[in-house]
Amino acid sequence: MGPNTNTAGSAKNKKFAWKEFKRSIKPYTFLIVISIILAVGSALLALFIPKILGDMTNVAVVSYPNIDWGTISGKAILVIVLFVGAAILSYAQAFILAVVAANYTRDLRNEVIEKIERLPISYFDKHKYGDTLSRMTNDIDVLTTSMSQEIADVSLSLTTLIGVMVMMLLISWQLSLISFVVVPISVVVVGRITSFAQKYFREQQATLGVLNSKIEEDYAGHLIIKSNSYEAEATRDFDKTNQKLAKVATKAQVFSALSFPVTHIFTNLGYVAICILGGMFVIEGKIPIGNIQAFIQYVSRFNRPITEIASTTATIQALLAASERIFEFLSEPEEEPDLEPALTLPKVKGEVEFHDVCFEYLPGVPVTRDFSVLVKPGMKVAIVGPTGAGKTTVINLLMRFYEPTSGYITVDGVPIKEMKRSDVRAMFGMVLQDTWLFSGTVEENLRYGRKDATLDEIKKAAKASNVEHIIEALPNGYKSEISEDSDNISAGEKQLITIARAMVANPPMMILDEATSNVDTRTEQLIQDSLEKLTNGRTSFVIAHRLSTIRNSDLILVMRDGKIVESGNHAELLKLNGFYAELYNSQFAEN
Amino acid sequence: MLKLLRFLKPYWWQVLLLLISTVAQVYATLQLPALMADIINNGIVPGNMDSVWRDGLLMLALVAVSAAAAFCSSYFSAKIGAYFSRDLRAAVFAKVLAFNMTDLKNYSTASLITRTTNDISQIQMIITMILSMMVRAPLFCILGLVMAIQTAPEMSWIIVVGIVAVVVSAAIILAIVGPKFKIFQGLIDKVTLITRENLTGIKVVRAFNNERLEVKKFDKTNKDLTKLLIFIDRILELQNPLINIIFNGTSLLCSWVGISLLNQDFNYLGNMTAFSEYVTFVMISFLMLSVMFVMLPRANVSAHRINDVLMTKEKIHFPDKTKGVPDKRSSVEFKKVDFCYPGASEKVLDDISFKAEAGQTTAFIGSTGSGKSTLINLVPRFYEATSGEILIDGLNIRDFSKDDLINRIGLVPQRGILFAGTVASNIKFGAPSATAEQIKKAADIAQATKFIEKLPGGFSAHIAQGGTNVSGGQKQRLSIARAICKNPDIFIFDDAFSALDMKTDANLRKALAPIVTDAVVLIVAQRVSTVKDADQIIVLDQGKMVGKGTHQELLKCCNVYQSIVKSQLSDREWEKEMKGIKNGA
Repeated sequence: MGPNTNTAGSAKNKKFAWKEFKRSIKPYTFLIVISIILAVGSALLALFIPKILGDMTNVAVVSYPNIDWGTISGKAILVIVLFVGAAILSYAQAFILAVVAANYTRDLRNEVIEKIERLPISYFDKHKYGDTLSRMTNDIDVLTTSMSQEIADVSLSLTTLIGVMVMMLLISWQLSLISFVVVPISVVVVGRITSFAQKYFREQQATLGVLNSKIEEDYAGHLIIKSNSYEAEATRDFDKTNQKLAKVATKAQVFSALSFPVTHIFTNLGYVAICILGGMFVIEGKIPIGNIQAFIQYVSRFNRPITEIASTTATIQALLAASERIFEFLSEPEEEPDLEPALTLPKVKGEVEFHDVCFEYLPGVPVTRDFSVLVKPGMKVAIVGPTGAGKTTVINLLMRFYEPTSGYITVDGVPIKEMKRSDVRAMFGMVLQDTWLFSGTVEENLRYGRKDATLDEIKKAAKASNVEHIIEALPNGYKSEISEDSDNISAGEKQLITIARAMVANPPMMILDEATSNVDTRTEQLIQDSLEKLTNGRTSFVIAHRLSTIRNSDLILVMRDGKIVESGNHAELLKLNGFYAELYNSQFAEN
Repeated sequence: MLKLLRFLKPYWWQVLLLLISTVAQVYATLQLPALMADIINNGIVPGNMDSVWRDGLLMLALVAVSAAAAFCSSYFSAKIGAYFSRDLRAAVFAKVLAFNMTDLKNYSTASLITRTTNDISQIQMIITMILSMMVRAPLFCILGLVMAIQTAPEMSWIIVVGIVAVVVSAAIILAIVGPKFKIFQGLIDKVTLITRENLTGIKVVRAFNNERLEVKKFDKTNKDLTKLLIFIDRILELQNPLINIIFNGTSLLCSWVGISLLNQDFNYLGNMTAFSEYVTFVMISFLMLSVMFVMLPRANVSAHRINDVLMTKEKIHFPDKTKGVPDKRSSVEFKKVDFCYPGASEKVLDDISFKAEAGQTTAFIGSTGSGKSTLINLVPRFYEATSGEILIDGLNIRDFSKDDLINRIGLVPQRGILFAGTVASNIKFGAPSATAEQIKKAADIAQATKFIEKLPGGFSAHIAQGGTNVSGGQKQRLSIARAICKNPDIFIFDDAFSALDMKTDANLRKALAPIVTDAVVLIVAQRVSTVKDADQIIVLDQGKMVGKGTHQELLKCCNVYQSIVKSQLSDREWEKEMKGIKNGA
């Protein structure tokens, strides 16, 4: 599942994935080798059981009617020892592998989460969250389960296969010949059928994909379908694909199910042939009857490892595809490391200057260009402009989420590029439009910006942000659990909590992205009021949507196509009667 | 799960054939060991080669029969599974399309999609499995037991020992591990949750320099998960070795008891070999059944989720034919209409009364949550009024047939929603018989022609699923064109103009004016400028009507309206506006 960006990975990618896989599994090599040895041991022990059981019969037949119980019970005890020993070894083997797989999974998950924290923000602008998420969950799952399964299967199967062949040959080479001919043929035939089945499976997946996107589209457009009486048409369209899916799915299923009767027929053919031929040999006195009994048991053990080995190619393909996706992610270029030694600012006054800053998102496509402005300490800066003008980019540059392609930014005269990222980010408090809260208590969320804040400080911030009564109305007050998609508080209330969170952190400067919709009039007033308090006395940058913000700003930066086209305060800009005036009128006033 | 089995009904004869072929297959397979015993006892021991050949050929015939039967049963189980799920999927799809908005509120779209796709795939898998295994395994069990007892009645106690051992060991393992699986799922969900949080909140995490904290938090859950996984595996991995011990043990018991019985009857030489094969068949069947019992609860979850959808009762019924004769002239009238969600005590709409006439524009304004969107969704009966009456063209909306009602209404929702297809197919979505000319005209009025002509292929330009290849404003204009093309008596614009810039908004409404002279126009808006020229403006606050009148009238006497206007105008403009009122008065 999950979006597969490159299912048909090139040979180079596969080689890379394989190399990375080997590197990451290295700490576990010793345990893996041990478990392989245990698997081989267990398979070898189990190998002798049918032969000894057959010998028991032979002894009985030969000594009949005075059955030699002494010899027989000796052999019986040996059998018990063998199968108990084999079981113990195989348990030890499986357990060790399980521990390896679990710990390896843990390693990989940790690597992925750490990678997430170190990747540049731009990575996530270009990649869907769901994609990264599915690497974290599905792909790691596939990789580790198929890995541990393969190691056990391959070592067990190979040992059994070779061992069984030897035992069969020891009992009777003529009878062995039957198996050696029949079994490979059946494997080849089954292989052909499976490849057919896979073709239909792919077709099934594709049809399912088409159907799913139809379902998605129709459910999302439910309102439109209903308000246009389009139900019948939509159903007809759906039925067509649904019908096709049923057809293809039947084919895929039938072909994959076909392998069962086919193996069945081959196995039984061999079985019958051995019965007849074996019977002949016994009658002619070539081999004792117990050996036939043993041989039949070996034959049934001979089939399984062959089919298992045949199926490993598919598992290994899945393993490689998964590891390709995981290691591709893990090798994405990270944020450049901080300069050493980095510059520091002991006391931040809050003077921010942009010097000819350019930023290109894609080479040759500037998002921000020649951006120069001086912001004095304590100033309130509003950034306005149409969508896509580059307002958010300015803020991302300020926080060093992005690095300018050219030009630089200084705070109190110190270039932020030469400071530690964490120091730069600590200077700014951020309140964003999407109100992200992590799942945890309200208190934990409020303390997110300053771990050592006391409960008193938190309460004070909550009060200043007009969110105190809301929190206290929750069932467990500050200890109430909330999350990103919790519905016990509204979007507006979440916004207030994020403001309180920024207040607790108490940074020298503020960055705000004003929320626009989803908020009722009353809450909006509360938000405005608390934002007012938050920005008071701090240098602050606001992506502005509200009249009040814009009008009261010390400096308004009007952006268009990545450039500051006008700047000044509200009155000055209106007087200019340029782009700002046009924007202002269209957005807020009447014609 | 059982409730869904009714969908198997149309396939009863295929199920029957499946059963027959499965019985044939099991029966034929189970004859093989008996024949082999016969080869040993009556062929090999007395040295009778003819008997060996006869039995051998009989075995071959049986192999052919069982293979053919196995093929039939695989074929039918695959086919029934696929067609069963086709029917189920179609049923769920039809049900969801029939949902009204109250029903939709109970599910997220994502959850409905999962129910129609993944959940049904799960069910299909399990049905195919049940059909092939649920029938085969018990048959193998019962027939295997019968054959085993027939071959060697004195040894049948071994089977009991074997089965008890398998069942007990599987039960113990399940009892220890089973409860842990729930915790395991919980931890997996938590890992996903933290990862997702870190992805969606990546900027906040970094802004607060909390990367280390997040990694630590993740590692804690990760560690718990690893520990639990190792615990579960420690128990679970016992299963295979235990089963192997049991299988080998019964094999040994068979040989031992068989040999000890040789003195009574030399036939036990062949019988014990056959018997030990039967024992294996029976025990493997038991194992297969236990796997089924592990899988069933999982399928049950999916079945429940599907049933939830299927069992939702349709709450809104339309008469097949419109009762009564509607007025020639269009109108929409609300009489003391209340609305609240089922089970909720708070009214979303409270005592709404107004009349909108043809050729008039009625606008609704109010803050988010004031109920204005709900109000207009009552008109096409997407929601059903809790009390009060809504009349269209003088007739109660409950007396209209569905098509009659819907065909009168052209609705433009807040979000421009488009479907995969072409520009033209989207515009004529509600009017399949519209001519190219009508489509073009609708696009003209919606101010969409200019950008459509720039698209490769013009009106036959491809629109991607969800309309992702056109911009938000373009989507909105196309969805307005779609409503116009339908040529309805009642236009409903649910905040449809907010995605347009002022100029386009004005042009569009100017172009719209001549074609709505005989239509009722209902507009929900946030901008004062959009509603200002309406013939009547209805101001909503927390579900109540707090004002009704023209812009001028409301400015004079409606507090809520005044504060809305004030928040959207500069002080100077506000003063000008108020002066205008005074002068007018």
